[in-house]
Amino acid sequence: MEKHEHIVRSYEEELAALNTKIAKMGGLAEQVVGQSIEALDRRDPDLAEATIREDEVIDALEHEIEEQAIVMIARRQPMAYDLRQVMAALRISSDLERIGDLGKNIGKRALAVVGEQQPKKLMLGLKHMGELALEQLKEVLDAFIERDADRALKVWYKDEEIDAMYNSLFRELLTYMMEDPRNIGLCTHLLFGAKNIERIGDHATNIAETVYFLVHGHAITDQRPKGDNTSMTPVVLKRSAS
Amino acid sequence: MSAPKNNARYASRRRGNFIATVLSVGAACFGLTWLLLILTVLVVKGVGGLSPSVFSEMTPPPGGEGGLLNPIMGSLIMTIMAVLIGTPLGIMAGTYMAEYGRYSKLTMIVRFINDILLSAPSIVIGLFVYELMVATMGHFSAWAGAVALAIIVIPVVVRTTEDMLLLVPNTLREASAALGLPQWLVIRHVAYRAARAGITTGVLLAVARITGETAPLLFTALNNQFFSWDLNAPMASLPVVIFQFALSPYEDWQQLAWTGALLVTAAVLALSILARMLASKRVPS
Amino acid sequence: MNLAIHTDVKERAASATAPATIEEKVSVRRLNFYYGAFRALADINVNLFENTVTAFIGPSGCGKSTLLRILNRIYDLYPNQRAEGEVILDGENILRPGQDLNLLRAKVGMVFQKPTPFPMTIYENVAFGVRLYENVSKAELDIRVEDALRRGALWDEVKDKLDASGLSLSGGQQQRLCIARTVAIKPEVILLDEPCSALDPISTAKIEELIDVLKRDYTIAIVTHNMQQAARTSDFTAFMYLGELIEYGDTTQIFTNPKLERTQDYITGRFG
Repeated sequence: MEKHEHIVRSYEEELAALNTKIAKMGGLAEQVVGQSIEALDRRDPDLAEATIREDEVIDALEHEIEEQAIVMIARRQPMAYDLRQVMAALRISSDLERIGDLGKNIGKRALAVVGEQQPKKLMLGLKHMGELALEQLKEVLDAFIERDADRALKVWYKDEEIDAMYNSLFRELLTYMMEDPRNIGLCTHLLFGAKNIERIGDHATNIAETVYFLVHGHAITDQRPKGDNTSMTPVVLKRSAS
Repeated sequence: MSAPKNNARYASRRRGNFIATVLSVGAACFGLTWLLLILTVLVVKGVGGLSPSVFSEMTPPPGGEGGLLNPIMGSLIMTIMAVLIGTPLGIMAGTYMAEYGRYSKLTMIVRFINDILLSAPSIVIGLFVYELMVATMGHFSAWAGAVALAIIVIPVVVRTTEDMLLLVPNTLREASAALGLPQWLVIRHVAYRAARAGITTGVLLAVARITGETAPLLFTALNNQFFSWDLNAPMASLPVVIFQFALSPYEDWQQLAWTGALLVTAAVLALSILARMLASKRVPS
Repeated sequence: MNLAIHTDVKERAASATAPATIEEKVSVRRLNFYYGAFRALADINVNLFENTVTAFIGPSGCGKSTLLRILNRIYDLYPNQRAEGEVILDGENILRPGQDLNLLRAKVGMVFQKPTPFPMTIYENVAFGVRLYENVSKAELDIRVEDALRRGALWDEVKDKLDASGLSLSGGQQQRLCIARTVAIKPEVILLDEPCSALDPISTAKIEELIDVLKRDYTIAIVTHNMQQAARTSDFTAFMYLGELIEYGDTTQIFTNPKLERTQDYITGRFG
């Protein structure tokens, strides 16, 4: 059916501006996450520092979006779909702001391990997980722009993969640390980095839920897949001989 | 503000405006002058004959002493009778046209005929009543005079009643109907109450109108030199007496005619002022 | 289309709002309405549930006022207007020829867009209707008038000037007087035809509060141009367009997630 526009043009423009800001914020978030993972992988301190600075722009955008959303609610009294758009903008900007912060933290971790000897297997695992999280983010942002609930749903289900990867990485890092105590410093940083990536995946899933609600008007009825059981993984210390 | 762009155009417009204003004021003054002249002449000529005897003595024979008692009483009696006959009929007809039969064909026909009757020549009405009552009864009478006047009163009252009732907003009627009021109660308690002042004004104006009517009375009540209460006999009235005395060659009769004219004018003036006062007291809806 | 929505609405209403069972007070079935040859309402099916507020919204000319005016047959005052179909009130079809119109209108009261106090005192305005149907003593009449004015949220403002003319009140007060006058005769259903259109925001808010209180004892239908008002005051909302009932359901659902695109377009200001 033909999509009608608001009779009051400025209302239509305000909604469009809100969408554009989210898109812009999303692009910046993608950039921050991508760059921080690359910085971690290439051990590039300059890139890491640039990433940390970029997060500030994301924070500023979040304030802008929040302000505009509140003003729109006060002035326009949005209903139905319009109301969901404004609520979605608020929630997604909040998730994107957290994603930016997490990316920034990954950058900080990258700076911390710059000088160290980095085990190839672990770094590969981390990079792979990071790329997956980045892909989820890109997918869900596209789903938002297209207002495609099915695409969002796919992202929602795929979070299980990231959780699974995090589980195995967690165990590997534990093993590494138990093998040689000198690795604990490095591994702790890598562990936090991995956790941040996993959290990025979770926030992307949040955004997917919001997109679904925006399109359909009600929440996803399924149970959210939770694959992260690291909090329940027992740590068994092997006594070393001698 | 900058000066008008085209000075010649503007100047000619100002001239035109000035000329039109002068002409309208001139016409108004012209009309007013004649009115004032008439009133002045009436007062000057009539006041001279005003005395208590005008109100207490009958019309005299030529050359005698007398007053205007019988024409004054006659006019009063016939006017009151005409109002008593004409007003209820007029109000009920107007009510039907505005309330019960607002959209019916009968109302359209009645309205049309009523408008014609409003400006019917009163002499024609007089002749009609002559045929109807005087000829059949065999003599002139006050009854006939009253009926003739009533026929003049009815169209006026019908018209004003209908107009005033139509002015009552339909929302008021709907509001009372929505309470469950049957139609006649809506009319009685709401429509009449709202149109009360207007309808009263209409009646007063009708009375003012018949106060000065001469022609119909000529054929119906004729005249009576003596004071009489008998409704079945001819009865004197101010307009007819004025007519009779003014055309006569006797000076005292002529003086009485002027005085009578002054009285009639004063009565009409008083009624009109009263009607206007009532109209302005109406609460704006 | 309509039967399914009705069952759905009934269930949701029973679970959502306070009353455990929810009865139909007025049932409109297959209603068509004609101004002369012009069909103004086409096949309307809708319910008014007891002790709830139902709002009718839609663009100008959609027929919502026409529908309201059928519920108390006030259209009967004018020629060339006729209704076909059924309107069932407490089990009886009020459109049938033998229906006593005055009794109907005592049961189904109406408040109009323009406040219309009668040209009488405030006391008389309210007492008028009561005296019409009942033989009450002066003392009891005083009580009835006070009760009605209290229900109309007007008592405190006029208790010292009951002899003043009804026309001396402000617009908002006049409208509340009209509401008091309507509840004085103890109706069961109250119809409100854009009651706040001519009023300022504070008077409007007072009347909205009034509606909230009145619905505990009466079944209310309100026609309004103001969608936010419909969203605020009603339990059920019916959206009409060009003489047809487009969507009818729970107010919360209509205004957060309507089923039909046309409904959404209207309430978000995309057309109409």
